[in-house]
Amino acid sequence: MEPLNLPTVFAVTEDELDLNALLDRITLASTGAAAIFTGMVRGQTVRGGEHETVYLEYEAYRPMAEAKMAQVADEIRSRWPSVEGIAIVQRVGRLYPRTPTVLIACTAAHRNTGVFDAARYGIDRLKEIVPVWKKEIGPDGGEWVEGDYIPKPGE
Amino acid sequence: MNRVKILFFATLRDGAGCKDAELDLPLGATVADVKTLLAEKFPGLEPAMPSALVSVNREFAFDEDAIPDGAEIALFPPVSGG
Repeated sequence: MEPLNLPTVFAVTEDELDLNALLDRITLASTGAAAIFTGMVRGQTVRGGEHETVYLEYEAYRPMAEAKMAQVADEIRSRWPSVEGIAIVQRVGRLYPRTPTVLIACTAAHRNTGVFDAARYGIDRLKEIVPVWKKEIGPDGGEWVEGDYIPKPGE
Repeated sequence: MNRVKILFFATLRDGAGCKDAELDLPLGATVADVKTLLAEKFPGLEPAMPSALVSVNREFAFDEDAIPDGAEIALFPPVSGG
């Protein structure tokens, strides 16, 4: 049985990500560790085709995105029962280099309980099944970034 | 007839030239039928259609899946958030 009082935060937002406020919402009296991943807009890309990014324009299918974030949180809890709080937040709109775009945070009593792996799983899974897309705008125009994951029935 | 709502995102929205549409489906229509009808109605979808994903009522759906009455159907490319 999963305790009902464990905090799970998931959202698609146009607002700036407030890392401290999100962390506060997933911290329990028993929490002693938090693994936090945040993705950011990269201004200069070296790996693959070297290029410059002026900004990224994010869009989401919001109700499905939030439902799939809840599913990712459920998957994390079934794999890492020691995880206490989970936050999964995707920022959308026009985002410039150096800006945090997404946050995945997992809390637990201790650091050696799988929280690092849990947060890693969260961001990897978000990039597979949460319906959000970004268009990269460079000095010479814009292009949609296309993922490569094809969900299977039941995902 | 089954009137459904269609939502387009990212490359599919660019191809369709609009973000949503309504479509009347014959009873028993499947996801594959929806794709065929939309390709006829919106020729600009063609380049993005082969890699398009489909959701029905906010769950991923596949060619042989039947469309429920009044469904909300979305077409979009593989996701690229984060």
